[in-house]
Amino acid sequence: MSGKFDIVGLVRKVIFSDFARGLAITLKYNVSRSITLKYPDDEKWVPYVRFRGAHTLNRDPSGKELCVACELCAKACPTKCITVIPEEDDTGRGIADRVAKVWKVDLVRCMFCGFCEDACPTRAIRLGREYELACTDISSTVRFKDALLKPQPIHEGIAGGVVAKARFEKTEAGIRVVADTGIIKKRAL
Amino acid sequence: MSEIFSKVKNEIAAVLDKYPNGRSAVMDVLRIAQEANGGHLTKEALGEIAALLDMRPVEVNAAAAFYTMYRIQKPAGRHHIWVCRNISCSLLGAEHIIAYLERALRIKTGETTADDKFTLSTAECLGSCGTAPMMQIDDDYYENLTESKIDEILAEKGLK
Amino acid sequence: MVTVKINGKEITVADNTLILEAARDAGCEVPTFCYQADLMGLGSCRMCLVEIEGQKKLQPSCITPVLHGMSILTDSSTVTAARAGVLEFLLANHAMDCPVCDKAGECELQDMVYKYGPAKGAHAETKFKFHEKDYVLSPVIIKNSNRCVQCTKCVRVCREVVGVGVLGSVGRGDHQEETSFLKGLLDCDQDGNCIEVCPVGCFMRLPYRYKARQWDLKSADTVCPYCATGCRMVIEERDGVVVRARAQHGVGVNSETLCSRGRFGFDFIGNAERLTTPLVRKDGVLVPSTWEEAVAVIKENLSAFEGSRIGGVASPRLTNEELYLFQKLFREVLGSPNVDSSARWDSSGVEAFIKAAGMNEGGVSVFDCMDSDAVFIIGSQVSEENPVTDYIIRRISSGRRMNLVIASPRAMKLDSSAQTVVRHNPATEGALLKAIILTLNENKLSVSAGINAIKETKLTDCVASSGVSLEVIKRIADGLKNAESISILVGTEFLRFPEGIDGLDLLKDVCRKSLGKKLRILPLLDRCNQRGAWEMGVHPGFGTGYRAIAGRGMGTHAMLEAATRRGLDAMYVAGVDIASMYPDAGHAREALSALKFLVVQDMFLTDTTRLADVVLPSSAFAEKDGAFTNQEGRVQTIARLKNPPGKAKRDGDIIRAIGQSFERSFGPDNASLVFDEIRREAEMYKEVSLVFNNKRNIDNKLDNKEALVKASSALARGFSAWNGGAPSSEETGDYPFTLMTGNHLFHSGALSSNSASLSGLLRAAVVEISNEDADEMGVKSGSLVRVKGMTHESDMKVIVRRGSKKGVAFIAENFADTPVNRFFSRGRSGARVSITRLG
Repeated sequence: MSGKFDIVGLVRKVIFSDFARGLAITLKYNVSRSITLKYPDDEKWVPYVRFRGAHTLNRDPSGKELCVACELCAKACPTKCITVIPEEDDTGRGIADRVAKVWKVDLVRCMFCGFCEDACPTRAIRLGREYELACTDISSTVRFKDALLKPQPIHEGIAGGVVAKARFEKTEAGIRVVADTGIIKKRAL
Repeated sequence: MSEIFSKVKNEIAAVLDKYPNGRSAVMDVLRIAQEANGGHLTKEALGEIAALLDMRPVEVNAAAAFYTMYRIQKPAGRHHIWVCRNISCSLLGAEHIIAYLERALRIKTGETTADDKFTLSTAECLGSCGTAPMMQIDDDYYENLTESKIDEILAEKGLK
Repeated sequence: MVTVKINGKEITVADNTLILEAARDAGCEVPTFCYQADLMGLGSCRMCLVEIEGQKKLQPSCITPVLHGMSILTDSSTVTAARAGVLEFLLANHAMDCPVCDKAGECELQDMVYKYGPAKGAHAETKFKFHEKDYVLSPVIIKNSNRCVQCTKCVRVCREVVGVGVLGSVGRGDHQEETSFLKGLLDCDQDGNCIEVCPVGCFMRLPYRYKARQWDLKSADTVCPYCATGCRMVIEERDGVVVRARAQHGVGVNSETLCSRGRFGFDFIGNAERLTTPLVRKDGVLVPSTWEEAVAVIKENLSAFEGSRIGGVASPRLTNEELYLFQKLFREVLGSPNVDSSARWDSSGVEAFIKAAGMNEGGVSVFDCMDSDAVFIIGSQVSEENPVTDYIIRRISSGRRMNLVIASPRAMKLDSSAQTVVRHNPATEGALLKAIILTLNENKLSVSAGINAIKETKLTDCVASSGVSLEVIKRIADGLKNAESISILVGTEFLRFPEGIDGLDLLKDVCRKSLGKKLRILPLLDRCNQRGAWEMGVHPGFGTGYRAIAGRGMGTHAMLEAATRRGLDAMYVAGVDIASMYPDAGHAREALSALKFLVVQDMFLTDTTRLADVVLPSSAFAEKDGAFTNQEGRVQTIARLKNPPGKAKRDGDIIRAIGQSFERSFGPDNASLVFDEIRREAEMYKEVSLVFNNKRNIDNKLDNKEALVKASSALARGFSAWNGGAPSSEETGDYPFTLMTGNHLFHSGALSSNSASLSGLLRAAVVEISNEDADEMGVKSGSLVRVKGMTHESDMKVIVRRGSKKGVAFIAENFADTPVNRFFSRGRSGARVSITRLG
């Protein structure tokens, strides 16, 4: 510090300007939009359509399984986490008479690269928007066809990139928190 | 040997005499059998011809299927329509002519109308490229076809 | 020899070589669809177009022979453009349903388009469809014509190799469909060779439908476990279930062909009824047990009996190593000379058969046999017992001039390839051969001791008993006389009726010594390792490598006989269903029940295992390592693909465990060490090479002679010609038919009955009679008849076979529900039955 008397600094100290500036920042954030989510109880993030979450198997508009069990996803998978066993079923279950008898994916091994999606000739397999994959039971990380064929909780039509209101839902397995896509807010992250 | 065959036994024997072996006579025998059977060949007839000529049934089937004028199994309608689908006719819209006929007759190519009046078939070049598109109904040629012309022809042949 | 330039490289090839072959020799790649080395050239797919300098148009190289000085380009820009164009046209109507198609991943069309195809097609038109849904052609073949590339390999293989010709090209142009008569179910051999040659997914295996992708499969190179042709094949499994068997082009004697048994019969391996745990009889009931207990029970019981009162029968479907250990266990550990390898015929004729068929002279390649001027097939229904041998004979005989003579009471598919077909009475092969010899001897051949032996035999008697006209016999004799080299293919009828063997032995001597012909004899056997079983010494009369042994033991026949007289206490049966295969069911059952102790080692619960005191679960060919010796004497290795189910063990391990319970040092410990010991013990196996066996390469010439066993000098003593009695004359009155038995095309022993696919092709026994008899009785194929023998009667459907000998009936030996062996009774050669129409 030089010998020169710092009058400006003194005044600042006297009127607590630094303090005020600090408070101003606090106040500004207090009133500005928060970047954290009140996850999971209050808010839930709805990812974009291109998001690569847990796998889903799709049906065509008439409800037929799109998967023809060609096993190309299993072949393309770098971590070999997909197993497909085909069978013949010409009852109209699938779009062809070849359908999957077993279609399972081991999400613990999956690295969500999306190669399976790219390999699929019928666009049956999609990496969906489910990202809450933590669990206490390792066996539930292996998902089978029946579960994967269920309609997505978040409809394809919703573009994503928004936060939805969280809603508590009672299921047989216990209480779940789901995103209520009816109440959404657009938020930049 | 079935009834039909016994009717034309002499005719078949005469044909067989003309050829060095049975195999070579297959086309003539098929023709005789088809005529005797009222314009088409049945599965039994093909089987019998195979046994008669010491051929494999599938070989007789193949010979009959190769030539468009043999009809296997399904009898033809009263009028047999052949639409040329070869290159000249195709360039001038044979595909549309076929599609129009299918709509008009309410059948698909290769089928016969419910009243057994018309059978619709496609043919390779019928040798009338200069007047394409064209079709043959029974033994007559109908050339330079248009949709309205087809309507006229079909009406004349009795399409309701 | 002509010299041509291919892509600038000069190569000298034989005259009339196809450009394609010359190019491939020169190392240039030429893609093809419709070309197949063994089939008639067609030149229809146009994939093999090449440019010949000086010719404006491209030429199909698969049907154009080389000319001297030709300069050929296989990869010029014109050729590449033409290939891309061909592929574009092939794809114009191709179904493009690769994700659904079973062939995807190993499809030639996919590979070609990937390699040579256009990146984009210009065809926007709607694709032509033959049909919407795949249609079933047979219980094992399913068809999708929308994928067809019209190469017609299926049609040609069906006609030229298999010889049934049930496939044809129906329709024309792009509407040409390779299918059966009016798309109906195939009435054919169901061998699926059409599937194998199909480059795309047009013909497919029904049992394999939608089971796996080619990249899911784990495979093993192995040998077919059915007949003794010794076809090399690859079996493939997914998740522990064998799903497919296929042959490979250019590998093994069979190249790309297999029969229905080989291609579809593997599924007995995965049969749910396989035995998985040892069973020990307690209080009269077989209860699951442990290996320790089972082996302890065996040790305790067997050591209580004297060696000579124990007998062993091992299946000719075990590997050489296992058979070697089996006889070693009996001869060295248990001290018993009683070992045999078949329940279906008496072992006493075997030595004579081995001598007459010259099996001790080393292996004979079937291709060398087919190189002869005259080929004489006798005593075998080769088209059904050894279907792939039949393919080889048909293929080669159509390509070169040879005098093919077939003698069999029953008509067969191969007859159409033969110059002379002989229909002799059943079990009169000997009389027929003697008649031929006597005819050959008409102008007094130079000395032959053998001929003196039949000097008293009258030609007329032989002719009368064989039921063949003198004229035909003369024709055969002339054929043999005019040929420089002769091959005789002898079948298992000689083992069922050993009376014929001395005729064969004599004919061999006459041809070789008196006529100075080059003669080859090839035994046609119906169990994959029958020859191996004999050469390993699983026979009461000789040891490993046909070595003489001290004192003859008992064969199956004698063992059962002894058992009923309480002269035998215990038996160890490995993989043979004596109760349902021995030609006298009642006697076999009685004998086995009379035993004090019976150990049976099998994959399934058979009639014999039900009588056992200890049942040991054994394993299938896909579950073990080892080697089979085929009928030619070719030693080929099999490879393990999977583990036996449950607690079942490999046969070799079971035999070893039993041996070690007696002697700790019993061994050797693994298959390859056992084979080394076999090499030391049997001179014939000393120099046998196993190297080529599992090699997979296109240049592997079909005939790998290093794998043939060598001649044995051991066969000196003990092998004499058969000197059993003449066939007993049978009363014919009430029973006008002579009953024959053997293998059906779809079945061979108990093994095939456990295959779902093969049972699907033929579930119940049928009786086959000639068309003459059928006309007389007024029955047609499929009519129900009653077959009545002296001891047994049974109702079954009839199959009419055109051209069979009148008065001959045939029932396959393998059906458990209608056991043909009940018609036979001990001490009688052959059985007589009456057939009456029902309904």
